[in-house]
Amino acid sequence: MSLLTVSLAGAFGAVCRYLLSGWAQERSRLGVPVGTITVNLIGALVLGLVAGSGSPESSLTLALAGFCGGFTTFSTWMVETIGLGLSSPRAVLNLGITLLGGLAAALAGYTLVS
Amino acid sequence: MAPHDPTPVSDASTPGGVRPWSALAAVAAGGLVGSAARAGLGLLIRGPDGGFPTAILVANLAGSFLLGLYLARRERAVSGPNAMRFWAIGLLGSFTTFSTFSVDLLGLLQAGRPLASAGYLAASLVGGLGLALAGQRIGAVIR
Repeated sequence: MSLLTVSLAGAFGAVCRYLLSGWAQERSRLGVPVGTITVNLIGALVLGLVAGSGSPESSLTLALAGFCGGFTTFSTWMVETIGLGLSSPRAVLNLGITLLGGLAAALAGYTLVS
Repeated sequence: MAPHDPTPVSDASTPGGVRPWSALAAVAAGGLVGSAARAGLGLLIRGPDGGFPTAILVANLAGSFLLGLYLARRERAVSGPNAMRFWAIGLLGSFTTFSTFSVDLLGLLQAGRPLASAGYLAASLVGGLGLALAGQRIGAVIR
């Protein structure tokens, strides 16, 4: 039952990622993958909220966690960084913004509810 | 891999934002399988006691390798756009996760475990980039 909840929530998260990152990327003139950065930072914030709420494993927390799992992506972050040229400033920016932004977002979410 | 392609996982076949239902279905189906696989992996892999996020690390590394492999191979083997949506965006995109990585890393830092934190970060990034590259190299030559 919980596996089903996580999987369905993850499927929904993936579709949301697909739509939002595509929308954001099309509107971006920056030379970094704004689409992926957007979904990854939002997902980190939401999961931080879930983690900080300290609520017991309910269907809702499972669904939210599952959603964030599908909504964010690590593999695309890696491949896009390589696509920028591994030693390039943009690749370093993509790594730095995502990593630090993600930590900050998770901390913000965590702190907001705890 | 195409050099300097910062968005190789993008959905270039439908510019302008119109997404056919089949595209959404492909992403959703891949997302369902990828999420289930990651959850299943989490049940199979128990990290050492003390809460090191081994399962997520394995998923992120394996997924990065497979995505590099898939995209490099796809450059030479013709398949429809829905295949990419299913495998790259849906499945591998959901099998790996950035949110859990961030929260895990934050948790290790908050628990006052600098070595574990540094190790998790290094393994994830160095491993993720290295394995994605390796996947690309292999994907460029396999049939």
